[in-house]
Amino acid sequence: MSSFTDRFLKNARAPRHLSITRVGKIFLVVTLGIGLGALNTGNNLLYLVLGFLLSVIVLSGVLSERVLRDLSVRRLLPSTARAGETFRLRYEIRKQNGTAFALKISEHKSTLNGFGWVPHFDSKEEFVASSNMSTDVRGPLEMKFIEVSTFFPFGLFEKSRIFDVSDMMLIWPKRGFSCEAPTESSAQHAGVNGMARFRDGAGDLAGLRPLRVGEDARRVHWKKSASAQTLLRTERERDDRKQFRLALDESNPLNLERSCEESATLCESLIEQGHEVGFSTSTAVMQPAAGAAALKKILDMLAWAGFSK
Amino acid sequence: MILAARQKLRLRFRDLAALSSFVAVAITGVMPIWTTVIFSVAFLLSFFGKRPLSGQRVWSVILLLGIAAVLFFLAFRGGLDLIIAAVSFASLVTAHRLLAEPDAATAHQVLLSSLLLVSGAAALSGEIWYAVCLFFFGVFACLSLGLMAVEGPVERDEPMPMRPVFRQISFGVFLALVGGIAFFFLFPRLSWNVAARRATPGLLGGTTGLSDRVSLAGGGSLKTSARVVLRVALEPDPRIESLDFYWPGRRFSLFDGKEWKGNGEAQRVEYAVTTTTQIARKQLTQRFELLPAYDARTMVALETVISFRNAVGLSAAGSRNIGIQRVTDEEVRLAEDATAYSYTAASAEIPLLANEEERALNLELPNTLDPRVAQLASQIVGTETDALKKAQRLERWLKENLSYSLDLGEQPIDPLAEFLFVSKQGHCEHFATALAVLMRSQQIPSRVVGGFFGGQRVSEKYAIRAGDAHAWVEAHLDGQWIRFDATPESFRSGTPGQLMAALVSLWEAIEDRWRRNVVDFSIVDQADFVKSLIRPPKNGVPDEQSSARTSFDVTPRKIIYALVLVGLGWWLRKRLKKKIKKHPATLFHDAVISKLQQHQMTFAHTGIEEISNELNQRQLPSAPIVSRATRRYLENRFSNIPMNQEESAALLKSLDDALQTKSMPQ
Repeated sequence: MSSFTDRFLKNARAPRHLSITRVGKIFLVVTLGIGLGALNTGNNLLYLVLGFLLSVIVLSGVLSERVLRDLSVRRLLPSTARAGETFRLRYEIRKQNGTAFALKISEHKSTLNGFGWVPHFDSKEEFVASSNMSTDVRGPLEMKFIEVSTFFPFGLFEKSRIFDVSDMMLIWPKRGFSCEAPTESSAQHAGVNGMARFRDGAGDLAGLRPLRVGEDARRVHWKKSASAQTLLRTERERDDRKQFRLALDESNPLNLERSCEESATLCESLIEQGHEVGFSTSTAVMQPAAGAAALKKILDMLAWAGFSK
Repeated sequence: MILAARQKLRLRFRDLAALSSFVAVAITGVMPIWTTVIFSVAFLLSFFGKRPLSGQRVWSVILLLGIAAVLFFLAFRGGLDLIIAAVSFASLVTAHRLLAEPDAATAHQVLLSSLLLVSGAAALSGEIWYAVCLFFFGVFACLSLGLMAVEGPVERDEPMPMRPVFRQISFGVFLALVGGIAFFFLFPRLSWNVAARRATPGLLGGTTGLSDRVSLAGGGSLKTSARVVLRVALEPDPRIESLDFYWPGRRFSLFDGKEWKGNGEAQRVEYAVTTTTQIARKQLTQRFELLPAYDARTMVALETVISFRNAVGLSAAGSRNIGIQRVTDEEVRLAEDATAYSYTAASAEIPLLANEEERALNLELPNTLDPRVAQLASQIVGTETDALKKAQRLERWLKENLSYSLDLGEQPIDPLAEFLFVSKQGHCEHFATALAVLMRSQQIPSRVVGGFFGGQRVSEKYAIRAGDAHAWVEAHLDGQWIRFDATPESFRSGTPGQLMAALVSLWEAIEDRWRRNVVDFSIVDQADFVKSLIRPPKNGVPDEQSSARTSFDVTPRKIIYALVLVGLGWWLRKRLKKKIKKHPATLFHDAVISKLQQHQMTFAHTGIEEISNELNQRQLPSAPIVSRATRRYLENRFSNIPMNQEESAALLKSLDDALQTKSMPQ
């Protein structure tokens, strides 16, 4: 049924959309005024001006059609995208014939905000336009249509053409504020390479820094602390890390977005600190792991939370 | 071209568009001087990048509103025509915007107010200069708008080649102008009347004009002027290139030794004046247009005039019927002042009857007349007693013994004696004066006539130049006035330089076409034009009605056919010539996708990056090869890291092998 609706909508859609810019509206009003003046007075010079203005309107339609004709476009999706932050979405655009000018490329019927701009390109080359997009909506983002519009030649009208190009992109949750740090009880010291004897890190001494509140006092370098008159802790090549097992709170569907944002922030923070994080949602479980790949997996799980694949 | 240079160029185009629109109104000569000064200063400041009103929005708008109030007050009090006041205000708004912040919104405002100026000029002017200004306004405005459109909503300081942009916009401008002309001819006229003609004095002012006196002190520089002062259409049309007709305007009977004056008495104003009661079967109708350069109210017409009628005065405010006033036998003149006039006169080949009461007046000689003049007259006529033959002898003697010159030097005390006895050279006024005085000394009543001689054909009309101004003599013989002209034949009409005369004639021909095909284009012309396009004459023979317009009917059709053929040829050439040149990386990308599709592999996505990810997830043997291919494609396509043909062939072969491995039965 939905495919029938899609087909119907696709066939019923106008091949081009036309909107009038602000200056175009004033231009039309002036043209109308001059036309009325010409008809009322029979002044042939006003007819001449009117003819020129009407010709500009028609020409705008013809030249903008030349620009939008023979175009093809596809998306080059970014590897990551986060809600509430801009990300670069690229469009590869080609033209079989002629030259295109003043193209604005954006997503049609999408929650993505932003557009790419192509001043001009020739049919002999392909052009990649970058756009800074943003959205506030987390989750799998279906992009069905690309809208290519042009202001060419005089900026009086904006003519658009819609391309059926389907793609899907995962939008990770927003970077938000994490209210609660995970309790020490939820953490398990994993040690270097999972060996408990290397809980305080391994390898050569990498540096010293002031001891923070809540940090293990066994890491204090007493000799250097005494000389510096402040507590300094050691940092080693391979520092110690903990394992955290976190679960997404999906008890309240109304609070799901907030939960996702908080979980994402927390996981990101922990993984940045070098800890291993395991994560579970109602539909997926991930064993504790560290590093960027683990974070990406967690953020993917969070993006899918509340959606079915 | 970088952003700053592009912005500068765009602003220059904008400023030039504004200037073109202002010139369209300024050349009418009706704009207040202070408006012209303000606009000129604003234009120059803006053109050289100085914009003092930038950031002074409130004060400058208050000032502008104040000026608007003054203009409104002047228009309300009748001190200024409403259209001129409106156009003045539009020009001040344009000047104000020229000096404001140079952003896109301001540029649009400048161009829109300039468009209003151009429209205002259309209501004030009918001159061909208007078309020139409209052309330049269209070109510069379109270029400015086009550059703004290509620049986009976000200006980026990146270099942009301008040649393709200009090529496309220029093509657009050309099409817009051609389309404008097509619309002009085809846009349906809904009223039968063409707008009332207007006339503006222009910037050059009046050139000639029949003064109320003929002074011998005057120089002859006017004779070299090629400027057209009046146009006349004759019916029936003599269809000859140049006329040798006399166009009398004013007659002078009183001579004080230095200048001639009239003695007429103004009669009541009428809308049609008949100057004779004689009946003439064959009349020559003349439709005159006195141009602003004529600068007088004296009506001229061919001899012998029967009537004057249909006088219309044209001014910047429009046209109106005006009265005609006869000043006894001195002149017939238009009763009211206007910038230009049109009227109809009828003449016939009938004698110009003389009144016996005028004899005495036209025999008077000044007391200061040099006695040698009378002696000379007696010497020339000798023993001849017939008045007509006496007059002819005097005329012939002047022609043969005195020479024509415009270089007369300082003004002598007695110019006539100087002409006859010392320098023996002068212009038409000297010849006419000498002949009239010599005739009077021989008791032949005579008077000097001021008017024009000649006429050159321009399209369907005859143009008379300022240099065609001439003076001759009428003698009262046998109850009628008979014309005598002692000026040598070759100097009677104007003597402008050849090049100047040719240029003015060419300009006049263009202007005539402009007036006929544009300014006076009516619903009837439009119907004829459309008819000629959609219904060509049968068997190639034009019907009786359209035969008179054969050149007008056939040419547009041929032009349209030629344009269609040229357009078709151009389109075909473009279609055959243009072939898409793909980027090598794209060719490689397409080859990879094609290889995968050849092995019946289907994917949820179309992009190579997504396909690579999908293959990796499915852990297929081809996944590492596709990953590498994807990386090389992206590097080549977006980072300009080259990939030679050997490398791409090797990758494709590896992919082929990997896909074969997958296809092989386990």
